[in-house]
Amino acid sequence: MKVKILRQDNQNTAPYWESFDVDLAKDMTIAGVLDNINYNDDVIDDKGNKTSRIGWECSCLQGMCGACAMVINGVPALACETMVRDLKGKEITIRPLQKFPVIHDLIVDRTIIHENLKKMNMYIGEYKSVQDKKLKKQEKEHEHQYEAAKCLKCGLCLEVCPNYVDGKSFFGALFANDCYLVSSRNQTRSNEIIQSYEEHFGKTCSKAFSCMEVCPMHIPTLASMAKINRQGFHRS
Amino acid sequence: MKEALVIGGGISGLCCAVKLAEAGVRVKIIAPYPSERSQSVMAAGGINGVLCRHDQGDSVDCHIEDTIKGGSYIAGREAVSGLCRHAEEIIEYLKKIGTVFTVDSEGAPLKRAFGGQSYKRTCFCGASSGKQIVSALVMEVRRFEVLGLIERQLWTFFHSALIRDGKCYGALIYNEKVGKIEAKYADAVVMATGGQNALFGKTTGSTQCDGYAAGQLFLQGVKLKNLEFIQYHPTTLETGQKRMLISEAVRGEGGRLFYIENSKRIYFMEEKYGPKGNLMTRDLVSREIDKVSRAGKEVFLDISFLGEKEIRRRIFEVSDLCMKYRGIDISKEPIPVAPSVHFFMGGLAVHLNHETNIRNLFAVGECASIYHGANRLGGNSLLAAMYSGMVAAKEIISRDFDEKKVDFSSEEAKENMVLQRMRDTKSQFPVMYIRDMLADTMSQNLGIVRNEESLKKGLTDLDYYLSICDRLSFDSSVSMYTNYSLKAILTLAKATLLCALHRNESRGAHFRSDYPDSNEAFAYATIIANDEGQFNIGMDKEHIYES
Repeated sequence: MKVKILRQDNQNTAPYWESFDVDLAKDMTIAGVLDNINYNDDVIDDKGNKTSRIGWECSCLQGMCGACAMVINGVPALACETMVRDLKGKEITIRPLQKFPVIHDLIVDRTIIHENLKKMNMYIGEYKSVQDKKLKKQEKEHEHQYEAAKCLKCGLCLEVCPNYVDGKSFFGALFANDCYLVSSRNQTRSNEIIQSYEEHFGKTCSKAFSCMEVCPMHIPTLASMAKINRQGFHRS
Repeated sequence: MKEALVIGGGISGLCCAVKLAEAGVRVKIIAPYPSERSQSVMAAGGINGVLCRHDQGDSVDCHIEDTIKGGSYIAGREAVSGLCRHAEEIIEYLKKIGTVFTVDSEGAPLKRAFGGQSYKRTCFCGASSGKQIVSALVMEVRRFEVLGLIERQLWTFFHSALIRDGKCYGALIYNEKVGKIEAKYADAVVMATGGQNALFGKTTGSTQCDGYAAGQLFLQGVKLKNLEFIQYHPTTLETGQKRMLISEAVRGEGGRLFYIENSKRIYFMEEKYGPKGNLMTRDLVSREIDKVSRAGKEVFLDISFLGEKEIRRRIFEVSDLCMKYRGIDISKEPIPVAPSVHFFMGGLAVHLNHETNIRNLFAVGECASIYHGANRLGGNSLLAAMYSGMVAAKEIISRDFDEKKVDFSSEEAKENMVLQRMRDTKSQFPVMYIRDMLADTMSQNLGIVRNEESLKKGLTDLDYYLSICDRLSFDSSVSMYTNYSLKAILTLAKATLLCALHRNESRGAHFRSDYPDSNEAFAYATIIANDEGQFNIGMDKEHIYES
């Protein structure tokens, strides 16, 4: 099958498309496809020309770390858990996440995610457990906190979001979920956190919810939003 | 104000950084990627600790005994005692900073059973214990980042330590964004760089853990310990991109190992060891599976009899993984399994305070070798990551550092010239090709079962790779770090083979077919030193490293 990849040598050079012919095995993921192209004595494009190895970031290779986030056939996804058998069409296109500066080929610089969380003082400090009289409700809250803390900070939710541009004012779903986690684990911080949530998420989010569709951890962002709004309502 | 460099952003590095910052020490965390990418997030099982509400009959002493026995009696009692005695404090601390543990209705962490342990004492956070701990620690680090006490710089790679006359003054750091090496001075340097996965290519762990730091420090005179002890996990599944771990929980739930002969299932573990055969220790099960595989037969793990509903309830992650990556429905068909490299008990030799043989140079987490002896118990690695970070921080906080500063600007300039010379050349012989050959050599010759012949064959290969690696030109298709890290990784591989060759016995994860029994003369840790190019190996009989 033809695999088309948007490549870029470094931050200062222009991107270009390069295609490869790859023998695809059953059960191969996009990470496997990239390995398949790279791990040869020579890397050869579809015209038989020698080219360089494709740069891409990986760490766990099993959907637990978020390193290999990229755009596959137009959909933001993790390369290591996107199966070739689930892709439609005669060719596969792969390009880097567009909302972050490219460092090399499919490797992007997602530093801004962490910078924004730092700017917003996103930390729990000291956990204060809230004992709810209704055990079921308490369990549900705990379950949701567990889900929110699974966020990989991979940036897929930002890539797909119609409201996220460059991270200067709107910080996206990963920020909203962290807001929920912090304010629910330490309610003494919730006033401050809810305020920045409103400023950098709530007032701009157009509720497309495409973030939930691409989240590799399936974090229910909508529920985080509802819970924060409820907290904010009780306070105002 | 004291300053420390922490190299690595996994759990041990984060814990150390936070504890230092709490005491007012200024910390720089050097790691190319955010902590969310560290191998720590893959630790699923949990963290061991005997808490105040423990199982009847359990005690901290029992945890200590299990750990020492699990490590085949070569881990130091004092070190292990410290580890186990602080477990409750560590779990309480993790709760306090907001880790989402799986808890009972009163908020107390639940515990699960793990191999090699007499009682249930593994606290956990669903099936993502490591990830949940990382999430909490990242936030705690951020609290000190906001205060200006911790600084994180992504895209920075460790290059080498600044060492003079047995003392460390900081490190050379390669900054990917500017393409240059920079000297970073500090009162203390803490290595938290994880295991040595890249020696074997792809393992169950992260591709980022490559052993470079241990190899480079060894070249600079830092002693290494117990390199021959490498834990193979018996049940892993081959996928298109790596071997993935099939949790021990499957065997815990009654999973049966078998192979097929004349279209009949042979339950080889049960035949040899009785009804509980499938639940033998990791090293033994790995060896038995290896034996069957060598005879050309595929081994399977069957859990289908549990039924779809119970599988979903008890081992959902395993069924999800098998379906996602291999299309295997484990409620209907067995899982094809084989052992794979999982954890490194060996690494940088450290004293009780986690300092190496170089003053002011510390090592924590998996890159340090201290608590696990010849084999590690499940649930003790997260505990050791946290504890080691705390111990190193405590030592740095209490130490008086002298004011004497040493200038390393000429070393900085020299190393930048070396990189520039590399960059100016072009190689037709890619670095990754040698890394692949190394992985083949190590997997073939330092497998679950080793012998003198295989180890010597491995050493011959390594000597060849080392002889050409200095003559290799720059491979522009991979990062500068990948280029400059090759020699140290190969050196570490050679040191590992030498240690395995030196230990003429079988103990824990080290099994020699030519010396199948353990021998009291080897009931000590192995120490390997690089004395100006000469590799000297010995046993730590005086317990210098609390072995």
